[in-house]
Amino acid sequence: MIVKEWCMYCGECAGVCPRNLIEVRELSLRFKEEGCKDCQICIQICPVNALKK
Amino acid sequence: MQRLSDLHPDMSCERLKKIRECFLMLVVDILVIGAGPAGSSAAKHAALNGAEVLIIDKKSEIGAPKRCAEGVSKEGLSELGIEPNPRWITKELSGVRMVSPNGTDVILDEDKVKLPEAGYILERKVFDKFMAMDAARAGAQIMVKTLATGLERDGDRVIVSAEHMDHDFEIQAKIIIAADGPESRVGRWAGLKTGTKPKNMESCAQFEMVNVEMAEPDCIEFYFGSVAPGGYAWIFPKGDDIANVGLGILNTLTEKTAYQHLLEFVDKNPATQNAQPVELNIGGDPVGGVIKDLVTDNVLVVGDAAGMVNPLTGGGITSGMIGGRIAGEIAARAIKNESWSAKDLKDYKKRCQDDVGQSFKKYLKAKEYLLNLSDEELDSIAEAFQKTDFDVINTSELIKKLIKVSPKALLKLGKIF
Repeated sequence: MIVKEWCMYCGECAGVCPRNLIEVRELSLRFKEEGCKDCQICIQICPVNALKK
Repeated sequence: MQRLSDLHPDMSCERLKKIRECFLMLVVDILVIGAGPAGSSAAKHAALNGAEVLIIDKKSEIGAPKRCAEGVSKEGLSELGIEPNPRWITKELSGVRMVSPNGTDVILDEDKVKLPEAGYILERKVFDKFMAMDAARAGAQIMVKTLATGLERDGDRVIVSAEHMDHDFEIQAKIIIAADGPESRVGRWAGLKTGTKPKNMESCAQFEMVNVEMAEPDCIEFYFGSVAPGGYAWIFPKGDDIANVGLGILNTLTEKTAYQHLLEFVDKNPATQNAQPVELNIGGDPVGGVIKDLVTDNVLVVGDAAGMVNPLTGGGITSGMIGGRIAGEIAARAIKNESWSAKDLKDYKKRCQDDVGQSFKKYLKAKEYLLNLSDEELDSIAEAFQKTDFDVINTSELIKKLIKVSPKALLKLGKIF
């Protein structure tokens, strides 16, 4: 997952990730890519379009 | 309990460094993860009831950045026994202005309004800190810039792995209170279904703006209809010409992001034609109602993480803090009784459902109905409301009035309200 520089680390993506794979830090996001099923819900929900596959 | 200084990597004293090496694990009765209002409320009440409590928060500053329109009711604060403090109140409101898509407005006076966000506009960056300070004064310890990264069980205890600056360590606790907000990861680590479905996650964007020219500068304003699909837009005054201007949408109902909708709202709204932003806030608001399973062995979930958000309004400060108070009391009681299984904690679920969850179920139904209204239907309801005399108004009474003026509402909501 590519996290654009305008990500504001609000955590909305983490809340909807059905596999709980997104760790939201104060100034970064970490994805556990190996468990990802490519549902792309995190991309769709982002309020500022900051996530890209 | 060991103190944060025992862990700090910059300590120069050799003796303290040696102590630090021995303290790779902190041991507490109750660990609260997240220092928002719900977490601080839980920590405060657990500490007041005699438990040894530690709060951790991943942010370097509690309360910042805000993810909220900052409205709170006087009734809600009063119920929590919190005295209004001018250091965290930016504006006292005199009413609510609701605006339909064609601009028809309904104004409700303060003495008649008991909506969850009508009363005060807070400065959350200060309010959240004050609530954490209250918890600290009650005896809780606080660690900021401390991130929980995982959870595992160890007999009848829980071990939470954590990071503070460049230091990894563990916290052993008898009870975890998960107050980690809409991300809600901690509950899921413990096996609870705290994740939010996209149809229940309101996606929000907000500017704090200056030069805002409100029609009713002492009222909070709500805008309904296609301006914010699945939610509403708001202008919440913060004093002078300053206001929070924002909206919440459901991504399942629109192709645009919350931010794109916000830009359009600001571009078109008469109040914001000369306004300039000084802050941008974004975030999710879980509006699907209180989650079914709030407890498991060793773990209670509170606040936004537990869906303690009014599904109709999106407000969750006081409901989360009420949930926090209940969680703190029940967790402290379990510590006193030396037993913290799901069975020992199950009263939490019942009390939350009684105090918070039941009313939210009704509002969820009302929300589902409102989502199906067209802009034209909203306009006709607003016009009917303009001709209606309101006595005392709260969310429930407002829906009852809606049923009276809308046959469609009667069919959908008549049996509920």
